[in-house]
This record gives sequence, C-alpha cells and structure tokens, in this order.
Amino acid sequence: MKLQHQLGGLEGLDGPIDFEKRVFVQDWERRIFAIHAAMMGLSDSLRGAVPDYDLDTVPTAFASTWTWADLRKGAESMNPLAYFQYRYYEKWLGGITGYLVEQGYLSQDELDAAAERYRKEPDAPLPERDSKPIDDQVIRYLREGDSPRRGPARPAFAVGDRVIVGDPPHSEHTRLPGYLRRRPGTVARVFEGNYAYFCSTGPDGLGEPVPVYIVRFEADDVWGPRAEPNGGPLFADIYEVYLSPAPSEKGSS
Amino acid sequence: MTAQFDYPEDREERSAAQVRALEALLIEKGVIGSGTVDKVLGYFESEMSPLNGRKIVARAWTDPDFARRLAEDTPAAVAELDLPEGMAGAEGEHLAAVLNEPGVHNLVICTLCSCFPWPVLGLPPYWYKDPVFRARAAREPRAVLTELGVPLDPDTEVRVWDASGHARWFVVPQRPAGTEGMSEERLADLVTTESMIGVALAEAPA
Repeated sequence: MKLQHQLGGLEGLDGPIDFEKRVFVQDWERRIFAIHAAMMGLSDSLRGAVPDYDLDTVPTAFASTWTWADLRKGAESMNPLAYFQYRYYEKWLGGITGYLVEQGYLSQDELDAAAERYRKEPDAPLPERDSKPIDDQVIRYLREGDSPRRGPARPAFAVGDRVIVGDPPHSEHTRLPGYLRRRPGTVARVFEGNYAYFCSTGPDGLGEPVPVYIVRFEADDVWGPRAEPNGGPLFADIYEVYLSPAPSEKGSS
Repeated sequence: MTAQFDYPEDREERSAAQVRALEALLIEKGVIGSGTVDKVLGYFESEMSPLNGRKIVARAWTDPDFARRLAEDTPAAVAELDLPEGMAGAEGEHLAAVLNEPGVHNLVICTLCSCFPWPVLGLPPYWYKDPVFRARAAREPRAVLTELGVPLDPDTEVRVWDASGHARWFVVPQRPAGTEGMSEERLADLVTTESMIGVALAEAPA
C-alpha cells in the first residue's frame, strides 16, 4: 500500500498551506516540464491515438512510450518520505531522468559529466540540431491531445444508482483514490463512451476501455466521525471496474 | 513542512545543471531538437494560459444560455468561443465546468497527482500540487477555504471534485455584485486562476 495513493484525507498535515501561486519557482523547472511535454508528444503510444499522428515521419530517436502513467508511476514508487521532501518538479526531474537512463537513451555517467560541465559553465550553449519536424509534432500533440475515449459504452449503472467502490489489490499504480475504497456513493453522471487508460494497472483493473461515472459521495460516508461539520458532497470520476452495485438498502424495491 | 529535511546547500544549482545536462544530451542523441523546449514553453506562455478560462467565465456571466450550455456540455460550449486552437488538446480533451451559484461553492482538487485543465487554466500553480493542500482539501475543505481567505456562509454547500479519471474540471465563480454593465473584457480581468479552481472568489474592483 502506497502513501501516494492514500494522500486524500491523510491527517496530521495540519500546518498552513503554502499558498504559492507561481507555476514555477525556479527557472530550471520550466525546462523539465517542457521535456516531459515533448516526450509525451513523441511517445510511441500515440500510434494508437485518435488523432492520426504520423510518427514515422518525425525524425526523433525516441521510440518508447512516455505518458502520464509513466510519470505518475515514478512519483508513486518513491519512498514516501522523499515524496514529501522534494518539490513537485524535483520529483519530475528524478523520474524522467531515471526512465531515460533505464531505457538506455543516456547513461548516468554521461549525465554526470554533462552536469559537471554545466555547473562550471551554466551559460554554455546547448548542442545545435534541427528542431522543426520534431517541434511540429510536439505542438500538434499539445493542440490535438490524446483522448482516451474509445467506442460506445454499455454502462452497467445509471444516474441515481447506488454503488459501492471496490477494494482491488494494491498495485504499482492506480487511479482509485485510497480514501474512497469500500465507500458507498450515488451515480451523478454517466460519461458518454468508454475510456481506456494509458497502461494496464494489473490486478487494480485499469487499461481496457470502460465506462466512467461521476460518483457523488456524502462526507459522512467517506470520513465517518472525522468528517467536517456541515461537510458537503465529494465527487470523483470513477472507472466502472472500481464499482459494484451497493447492497440493496432496507425499504428499497 | 520542509524544515524537518536536510537539503544540500547547492540544491537548485545542482538541479539546474542536471536539467541542462539532460536537455543537452537529449538534443545530442536526437530525441528532441535545439528549440523544442523553448517552443513548448512559448506555446503555454502565449496560447494556453488562464486568459482562456477568464474569457469563458466572462461569457458565462454575460450570457445565461452559454452558462447553461457550458455546464451541460463543456467542450462544445468552449468550442463556440474565439480561443486559440487546442482547447480540446492535451489535458483539455474532456473539459468539465462546474458552476458556483448562490448556496453552492465548488472546489477542484487532484489527490492522486496534479490533473489540471491546461488549455483553459494553463499549468497548475504550486499550491494545487502541494501534498498538504491535497491531503486536507479532501476531508476538510471548509477549513482550507477559510484558511485561504474565502468567505463562506455556513449554509453554503461546498462541493469537492477530485480529478481521478479523464475529466478535467474547472470552476466558474459567481459574478461579483456591482459589475452590472461591465464589458466582457473588464469582467474577464476580475477572474483569477485561483477563483477558477475554487480557492478564491471573483471580486469586484475596489
């Protein structure tokens, strides 16, 4: 079980919220963000995307899949103390670098040597390489996206149905917020169509296209006596694989 | 939160050099081009910014029929407006607006990561990604909103939206009193990123 999957509702973090409104607090953070966005726009997984991306014409050496799921897996695999210790883009830098080394695009030695060079000469120029066809694909990806919607749905639940969230085996990666496990709720909306996930999450259950619902949870049902007085409802979009019909309630037909 | 950890004194210099090294090697190896990073950053700076969300909100304030369509089918309503190409692009594929109204205040969070409607709000501010905010806002949104200075009537229902699936939510705040007759352009200036996530209200000029 990972702390990162259980963050919602975790108690004891009572200090004031750091209401930092900037998007980036260090200039270098901009560049790791953009590297991530570019890798998503060049990801081999886009061959299966709804927009007809022609990756064969894009002269990139990148031939791997890099999606949100890969970035999230990196953050979720961290030591939970380190997860709290490092700033958002520090975690990105670690995760992306680790992935690229593991995939063999660069070696740790090369990186260390290059970092040493740039430590001494922060303003040393970057190598020159024609950018346009790569940039065009990346920008096209940003404009057209990668919708997970696939085919028509045959939803098992309808608006108003009472459902209960499952308790699937804990796995490397999930899209089920931990605090919702085993909680009852009411279907508030059925999204049109089915929705795939970037990868299989194994016994957790995601991957294949499935219906998705907005489920409404009452604060008391989620938090019990730890709910806020006058706590309002919480809504989450939940993949059908995480839901079962709620056991019938007394008095209902 | 950070006081309990030790950090190297050269924390930022080290990260800056590592990112520079990474970018240089990715260019050298032919993964990206020399201008790719700047091109991506330019795209967000010039086209995918909270300005788009502000225009959507201002239109919803001045056109109740548009507000209704925005609540029912957000992508279709957003596509009606003259905004940069890409509103249904990365992280905008399935936009979903939730509208504040008298007695209802909405708050968008992402407890598993940092899901955010890029095309309409740009990239997420730091507080949204902060583990303390994410942990607390799920269970005690009223306390969090009070701490962040949002005046809440005790009878107002706070609705929390945890982005765990494909939808990318944003909030349409209520139009502030005293703004009758203002143009859409001026109204858009009253809308902040924070108000479109639900940790602030849109406020009339003092």
